[in-house]
Amino acid sequence: MGNYFSAERFINVFPKVISNLSVNLHIVFWSMLLGTILAIFVAVLRIRRVPVISGLLGIYISFMRGTPLLVQMMIAFYGIPIVLGNLFLNLFGINLNRLEPVIFVEIAIILNEGAFLGEIFRGAITSVPSVQAEAGYSIGMTGAQTFYRIVLPQAFKVALPHYGVDFIGVFQNTSLVFILGVVDLLGKAKTLGAATGHSLEGYLSAAIIYISFSLFLKGVFLLIENRLNNGTAKAV
Amino acid sequence: MIELTGVKKSFGKQEVLRDVSIKVNDGEVVVILGPSGSGKTTLLRSINFLERADSGIMKFGEKEINFKTAKKKDVLYMRRHTGFVFQNYGLFAHKTVLQNVMEGLVQVQKKSKSEAQRIAEEVLDNVGMLEKKDSYPSQLSGGQQQRVGIARAVALKPDLILFDEPTSALDPELVGETLEVIKKVAKTGITMIVVTHEMSFAEDVADRVIFMDGGVVVEEGKPSEIFYKPKEERTRQFLSRIIPQDAYVI
Repeated sequence: MGNYFSAERFINVFPKVISNLSVNLHIVFWSMLLGTILAIFVAVLRIRRVPVISGLLGIYISFMRGTPLLVQMMIAFYGIPIVLGNLFLNLFGINLNRLEPVIFVEIAIILNEGAFLGEIFRGAITSVPSVQAEAGYSIGMTGAQTFYRIVLPQAFKVALPHYGVDFIGVFQNTSLVFILGVVDLLGKAKTLGAATGHSLEGYLSAAIIYISFSLFLKGVFLLIENRLNNGTAKAV
Repeated sequence: MIELTGVKKSFGKQEVLRDVSIKVNDGEVVVILGPSGSGKTTLLRSINFLERADSGIMKFGEKEINFKTAKKKDVLYMRRHTGFVFQNYGLFAHKTVLQNVMEGLVQVQKKSKSEAQRIAEEVLDNVGMLEKKDSYPSQLSGGQQQRVGIARAVALKPDLILFDEPTSALDPELVGETLEVIKKVAKTGITMIVVTHEMSFAEDVADRVIFMDGGVVVEEGKPSEIFYKPKEERTRQFLSRIIPQDAYVI
């Protein structure tokens, strides 16, 4: 490999790259937390078929699923300050142009996840056989009791594997943020590469970190799934 | 006990119930017979508001409910005073047998966990399912699931239990054990309306048989009258199809 790769440089650069993993984790945490909450609302509103709102949500979901996340990030980053800039400045005294770029990235991912997870949740909820809800009603439970105690736990089990895959996808998609100038672990690898003239060690570090953490996440979700299936492994 | 007057229900253009009136007395066991599509299941589901009838009056004890104007509290009242046993069992798939029976006792009747468990275990013992109390529905046979379904309804001590074809999803060899349990429940004196195709069960247990066809009540009477001396031609035709002619041979 000649001078393209050296183990010494790799050992030197790896800790510097991994120190920026926290940036990616910060994005994943907030995007998934708020994205999941948004998705629950999207799913419930879609299932209830509220006349106008359902139509609007349909357009929103088509847009989110029909455009690349990177485009959505760009629009959020450049568009939100232009459209809402004056409003926020006058109303709250916040200058949107001064906000950290990472916030716009998170807004984009939250909206994106609201659509993708919303569809996953909707599918999971409607997959629970209608007799389950009817049985809940028949013993005198209210609609809310039936939803939270009977339908939702069963839907949760259906949604969990898809949720896990989506979660890992979001983690990997956080790598897009360095295009907007957010220095995440990939951004750090690129900067170090530019400074030293040796890129490969940094990118390899990034790849190793991505795959390790993805496998870790996969393990965590498998563990939760097994816990849930404990005793009902043969269910349905 | 319960009296339905002028119940009508359509699904789109399909008129499923056209002006049905029935009355069931306290402690009576009534079997509803009829070909599929006759509206008997819809009628049963309307009582429990699993289906919303378009019009008609329901008198239940002291209460009078108009289907057209029934409020949420009327719906809950009916559901909390009646039990429902489903054709395909409808056990909560994510709960154990014991949890299935306790759910309504704890969440609806607000009984303490320990009291709910005591009641649930007693009822499960009555249907011969106490040993399986920690199993999940998917680990049980159809007959066992249906016995739990019956236990779940009985545990809440409803004034009326509605059985919607409780044995028609079962393998033939499991029908007997389930019917035995239903007979046992009938003997406790609780009011029951049973939709079924099991003629010998109807003959054994029913105080009265109602024959429905095409969304109306065609004929009703004692099982012996309906089965052996039907007045209506439609009843006769239906029975001749259900009761095999060669049953008398051998």
